[in-house]
Amino acid sequence: MKRITACLSGALVLALAQTPMWGHHSFSGTYREDAPPEEIRGTLRSFNVRNPHSFVQVEDEKLKDKDGNPVRWAIEWGAAGQLAQQGVNSGSLKVGDKVVVTGSPGRNPEDHRLRMRAITRPSDGWKWPVGNQTFN
Amino acid sequence: MKFTRLLSLFVSLSAGVWLLNAQGPGGFGAGGGKGKGKAGPPPAIDFSGWWTGNMQEDGAERGAGPDLVDYGGVPINEAARLWALSYDTSRLTSRFHQCDGYVAPYSVRAIGNTRVWEERDPRLQTLIAIHWYSQTFEGHRVFWMDGRPHPPVYAPHTFMGFSTGTFVGNALRVETTHLKQGWLRRNGLPESDQTTLTEFFTRRGEHITYTSVIKDPVFLSEPWIKTTDFYRQPTDPGAWLFPCEDSEQVTGRAPDQVPNYLFGTHPYAEEYAKKNNLTLLGALGGAETLYAEFEAKVTTATPAEARARMLPAPGPSQTSRAVDPDPHDGEIHVLPVRDGVYMLVGDGANIVVQVGDEGAFVVDTGAGQLTDKVLAAIQRLSPKPIQFIANTNFHPAYTGGNEKLKKAGSDPSVVGTFLSLSTPGAGSTASIIAHENVVGRMNGSMGTPATSPESWPIDTYLADRLRRFHNGDSVELFYVPNASTDGDSLVHFRRADVIVAGDVFNTTQYPFIDVANGGSVQGEIDALNAILARTVFQHSGEGGTYIVPGRGYLSDEHEVVEYRDMMAIIRDRVKAMIAGGASLQQVKTAKITADYDTRFGANSGAWTTEKFVEAVYTSLKTPASKKQ
Repeated sequence: MKRITACLSGALVLALAQTPMWGHHSFSGTYREDAPPEEIRGTLRSFNVRNPHSFVQVEDEKLKDKDGNPVRWAIEWGAAGQLAQQGVNSGSLKVGDKVVVTGSPGRNPEDHRLRMRAITRPSDGWKWPVGNQTFN
Repeated sequence: MKFTRLLSLFVSLSAGVWLLNAQGPGGFGAGGGKGKGKAGPPPAIDFSGWWTGNMQEDGAERGAGPDLVDYGGVPINEAARLWALSYDTSRLTSRFHQCDGYVAPYSVRAIGNTRVWEERDPRLQTLIAIHWYSQTFEGHRVFWMDGRPHPPVYAPHTFMGFSTGTFVGNALRVETTHLKQGWLRRNGLPESDQTTLTEFFTRRGEHITYTSVIKDPVFLSEPWIKTTDFYRQPTDPGAWLFPCEDSEQVTGRAPDQVPNYLFGTHPYAEEYAKKNNLTLLGALGGAETLYAEFEAKVTTATPAEARARMLPAPGPSQTSRAVDPDPHDGEIHVLPVRDGVYMLVGDGANIVVQVGDEGAFVVDTGAGQLTDKVLAAIQRLSPKPIQFIANTNFHPAYTGGNEKLKKAGSDPSVVGTFLSLSTPGAGSTASIIAHENVVGRMNGSMGTPATSPESWPIDTYLADRLRRFHNGDSVELFYVPNASTDGDSLVHFRRADVIVAGDVFNTTQYPFIDVANGGSVQGEIDALNAILARTVFQHSGEGGTYIVPGRGYLSDEHEVVEYRDMMAIIRDRVKAMIAGGASLQQVKTAKITADYDTRFGANSGAWTTEKFVEAVYTSLKTPASKKQ
């Protein structure tokens, strides 16, 4: 067991050396990562590929705010460099796309915020992650 | 990690640092020393190369971040604990926090690779500096090795701070000051802008042993000592750039809304302790959690004892442990800001002078105690007479030198104009500009004692803004209603991109909300947001637009946003208590500023914490607009 742990630690260190992970905040402090992921369906309103983290804004197709407007979800994704390494760039998604997002819920429910776990565009089957892709 | 292992780790770290420190005199204070009994300085050590931090007990910091309310093993004081327990991580979605860099003490232990190189004098080959560049937020530290002094207290603070280095025995010793507020841990545990950092870098072949000693008089009760290790990378890891651009994250939030938890309401306060089967008292941290004696307490502490630490302790309020940025030496100190704009320190409130081809443009004139020296300093910056004086408010610390400076200047732009017809003598002196209510407060017509007529502004505005194109710059005065008073202006030198904030913002105390003269807590928050509406950071949330505070050190948007957050949080607490029917005395007794008092509090002097809390309470109970 110790040997496995050591190997895993070594692999992690190597991965760090080559692919930096960028934690602007504490993920466990920001999202309820132990909670069941939430799924939302809606229309993509913006996709900002940025550092320290990219954000996708999606208008919920069902949930409305107190004024009757669609609730807008802020979904946090990887840093620009991380997404690029995983084949995601600013052209991967466009405003108006109908998407299905699964994510860990934010700790502040008023924010309507998710940590991206998966995103699918049913119209052409585009999806992320592919394989074991993730981000920090 | 088992508690006993944690204890033994800290004991061993402490011993290691003691050994390192024993190699040179001077303790952990500034300075450093040469090796005992050796002639000449110790030889330089080359740290050049690519380095990566070993993932050890600091794995949480190098990875996805620590859990909420995991403060064990950190010698925090009550203020830090309460600050962190009020912290809602959603605060980082604010445009003004998204790109916040890591402060140097945290950056070294955080994620990413590091590149180190030497800077040498090309002719003499003497070592000028060692550069320590971290991928994380492109953190570029410079350890000056040429013996230069640290900047004055009123100079700007940065995430990387200002560092000087010396070789001590087999280590490089670095002393860092002028840090911004940042994280001890990025689960909300704050590190203040008063922190000083002492570091030892020891090279052991392909490894560096790194030891840091963080002293924070505001948030730590004793120094926090940490170690980590770096190993050398044989090839360039690449990916050195990390530009950050803020964006819209959580939309629809009002500009004056700052996510926070009221004292005692943190919804996840016990999550970490329960998940890991730890005692809550230990998770709440403090110096005692570093020592073996705490083990006995772990078994006897009750949940009630722990929960009591989530609220301010009864007793007198704490007071500021910050260094006073005013030299108090009877001299006027000049700090160049940018593009012909200077900050003058030493006579009450800060004074700003803009110079160029035309006469000097002065913003505020100080307390009037050292005006002759102020004038001499201005004349050294510009041989031309003072042409304009702008007052950001009427308070004597800002207008005390009006009369003398006005008489020492002249304003050729008004000679022969309507102003010279309506105001005898106009043009033969400098013209004083301010919001109309400043005149009302100075001439006695608005209930305040009258000052000398020669000190009154002659060119005023009522709302919105007043503009001048002067010395090649667009200078604008913006009205911020009911902030510190009912006549506050922000002065923006647009080309230089310097904003003079007056009494709206300072780095030394709680804002002087002068309720009797139209000030209010909501106006204060709105005024701070008015500053932020005009700022642009240069890199990783710092630099760019400079803000000259009424008192204190030259700042940028980071200091203003932390101050704005504080004001919004304190407002929320008082509002909640008022909604619950609390009296002023009950609000005072609740110590609702306990997490900020070690930075801004005062129990004596002209502006005490008690007076500040009363001003917040009063202006919320009776909004300013209803009093006029």
